[in-house]
Amino acid sequence: MSLILRDATYRYAGVGHPALTDISLEIVPGSVLAVVGANEAGKSTLCLLAAGLAPTTIGGELRGTVEIDGLATIGARPPELAQRCGILFQNAETQLSGTAATVWEEVAFGPRNLSLPLDEVVERTEAALSALGVEELAPRDPGRLSGGQAQLVALAAVLAMRPAYLVLDEPTSQLDPQGTQLVGSALQRLTQESGAGLLVVEHKTDLLASIAEECVVLADGKIVARGSAGDVLADPRLDEWGVEPPSTARIERAARSAGVQEPMLSALATRP
Amino acid sequence: MQPSDARRTPPDFVQPIPTGPYRGLNPTTKLVIAVAEALVAFTVRGWTGPLAVLLVLATTAVAARLGRRLVPFVIATVPLTASILLVNTFLFPGATDVILRIGPFTPTWSGLEAALQATLRVMAFAMSVAVLVLTTRPDELVADLERRGAPRGVTFVIGATVRTIPRVVQRAGEITDAQRARGLDTQGRLWRRVRGVLPLAAPLIFGSLNEVEELTMALEARAFSAAGRRTTLRVFPDGTGQRQLRWAAALLTAALIVLSIAGRLAFLP
Amino acid sequence: MSWLSRQFSTRVLVLIPIAIAINIVLGYTVQTVLKLPIYLDSIGTILVGVLAGPIAGAVTGAAANLIWQYAPGIGGGSIGPFAITAAVIGFMAGLWGYLGVYRPRPASGARLWGAVVIGVAIILLLASRIYNNPAYTDPNIGGYPDWVFTAAIVIAVVASLSVAAFILIRRDAAGAWVAAAGALTGIVAAIVSAPIAAYVFGGVTGSGTDILVAALRQGGADVYNASLGQGLFSDPIDKTITSFVVFIILASLSSRVLARFPLGERLVRPDTAS
Repeated sequence: MSLILRDATYRYAGVGHPALTDISLEIVPGSVLAVVGANEAGKSTLCLLAAGLAPTTIGGELRGTVEIDGLATIGARPPELAQRCGILFQNAETQLSGTAATVWEEVAFGPRNLSLPLDEVVERTEAALSALGVEELAPRDPGRLSGGQAQLVALAAVLAMRPAYLVLDEPTSQLDPQGTQLVGSALQRLTQESGAGLLVVEHKTDLLASIAEECVVLADGKIVARGSAGDVLADPRLDEWGVEPPSTARIERAARSAGVQEPMLSALATRP
Repeated sequence: MQPSDARRTPPDFVQPIPTGPYRGLNPTTKLVIAVAEALVAFTVRGWTGPLAVLLVLATTAVAARLGRRLVPFVIATVPLTASILLVNTFLFPGATDVILRIGPFTPTWSGLEAALQATLRVMAFAMSVAVLVLTTRPDELVADLERRGAPRGVTFVIGATVRTIPRVVQRAGEITDAQRARGLDTQGRLWRRVRGVLPLAAPLIFGSLNEVEELTMALEARAFSAAGRRTTLRVFPDGTGQRQLRWAAALLTAALIVLSIAGRLAFLP
Repeated sequence: MSWLSRQFSTRVLVLIPIAIAINIVLGYTVQTVLKLPIYLDSIGTILVGVLAGPIAGAVTGAAANLIWQYAPGIGGGSIGPFAITAAVIGFMAGLWGYLGVYRPRPASGARLWGAVVIGVAIILLLASRIYNNPAYTDPNIGGYPDWVFTAAIVIAVVASLSVAAFILIRRDAAGAWVAAAGALTGIVAAIVSAPIAAYVFGGVTGSGTDILVAALRQGGADVYNASLGQGLFSDPIDKTITSFVVFIILASLSSRVLARFPLGERLVRPDTAS
């Protein structure tokens, strides 16, 4: 069982050319797949496609297949998709439901919609809040959070759904390095403890290098490179694809051009 | 460090249960009472209806210790009641029982009576609204209606609207400030004022409409359209006494409306 | 029943609170800034009606008025009981939406001038129905003073010129239909509102239009007819302007956005469908 896209080509409604062409990839439970690429390369569209929101909720035309644990996204009802695959959008503030008086209720929104028993709703909410270290935000008004706080709360709200797969569109864009590390370890724990399969879109390639096993590069709606995260993120063509390489790769490249030889080169490129 | 007994109910700050006389009543009870008061005030004509309702309201307001907090609501009715009193006292059609003549103005007793009765109706209505608003948080009312099985769409619209209005007000303020910094005229001549509304209205409307798509996706991604009743977080206390009170209020109001329409209440002053 | 649930899809449910907030904020701003006897507090209601259908429009109108009345902090005034009128406005907007009234109809030459003629004719026809209403001339059931007729003629002429200008400048024949829809909605709104104002509030509403009510009564009209007379002045103008505002808003939205709403296809020009 996995989240699988096979030769998926997706076109937004009312637009002539497809946003994504012939995308084939697989998210395996317990693993993290990184997606990198320049802006407008189709990364956000890929997130919507993998979670099933495209085409089910926003319309558009999908050719090829997208299946989440065997359920085809075309024709599926949104609540079924929501339980299998969660999604964190780029803009955290618009992701908040606007109906909750407190952060606690915001995080409980999803489980409540699923009509789960009260003690399970409470348990999931508390677990999600502590996984991201935002328990002290629980009584606050969700409409009055800073960008970074809103992002963590939105992520907690998605985690509370306990989906088998999770798609994250730039989950640390508003966070400082400390927050980024917090999210990174929370995501790692998620894959290890509950076996969730993650697709993470990020510009912070250092973060991806530390948590992702596989990586895929998108350019102009197509996959131009794929492989293990280590290989892809060290690929010298990252620059021409509009992706900033992780610091280790940049150090290695700088050292190489300065004339440093092996084995010093490998030592420099190793993560601390 | 986990507490030895894991939490099984929401923390206290989530949908806190109000306490105190009248406030502690079940939210739906308070709603039913407010609606009944408003309907009786408007349908039982003359002096009796509004005065009876005002009496009930005075009792509940005292019980809930509302006192001074009612004042802004009273003040808000002044433009309306002033207009009612002036227009009806001086310009009541067909009235001939003149009070006195002040130049071209001829206030009449019939006009004054009609004006005062209309004013009392408005006051009774405004106070019924005030008592409800001051003793019941919108969240608590929505939560109770949800528990009783109100459709998800209804509770969402009420809850979301109450939260959206301040957001849009704030955004309008920001837009107006930005426009004013660019020279928008809010005081000048009519044509300039009309032209000034557009730079406010357009960004406000389009900015708000842009949210629709993203919020739709966000809600669907959290199973908003799932079938079945959403989990209740908090049960607001209810009781047989309150249930009987609600039914009594509803039946009494319905009876009064029917009698009033049938003209059977004309004997009341 | 699926027709009903389609009218209340998640997207529509999300739109309604935003539309209500637009109603309240714009209505309040217009009344305090412009200080004209128009309200412009139905933009959101008509928008929802046209995009989502009559029931959704009616619900939006009623909810807007009731929530405005009972909302903490901004509630007050006389708006609650007029929820009935607001529901009717929203319902009619849904009907116009079904009939495709708000679909842009680009035209030129003879067709464009034809639309101008039709639009002006409809305005003048509706104005003459008001003008010739026996209630205005028979003092036994509440006549109106002479200046009312002059004012009606002036307003009809100004309205006709504005509609004609709109159609010609935008080269869009739909202006005629939008004007007709708006004027009709306004007339119905006035007819529904008059008994509410008369019965509930003694014939006034506490807004600037009460001056008009006073003037009509001065001329001999009774409570109901004074309210009706005031309504027939303010409401058709207000609802026609609102309808044009909604039309412009809808014309500015992309067909991609419109198509996702229940009545969206009826708003899209046939040649832009992709």
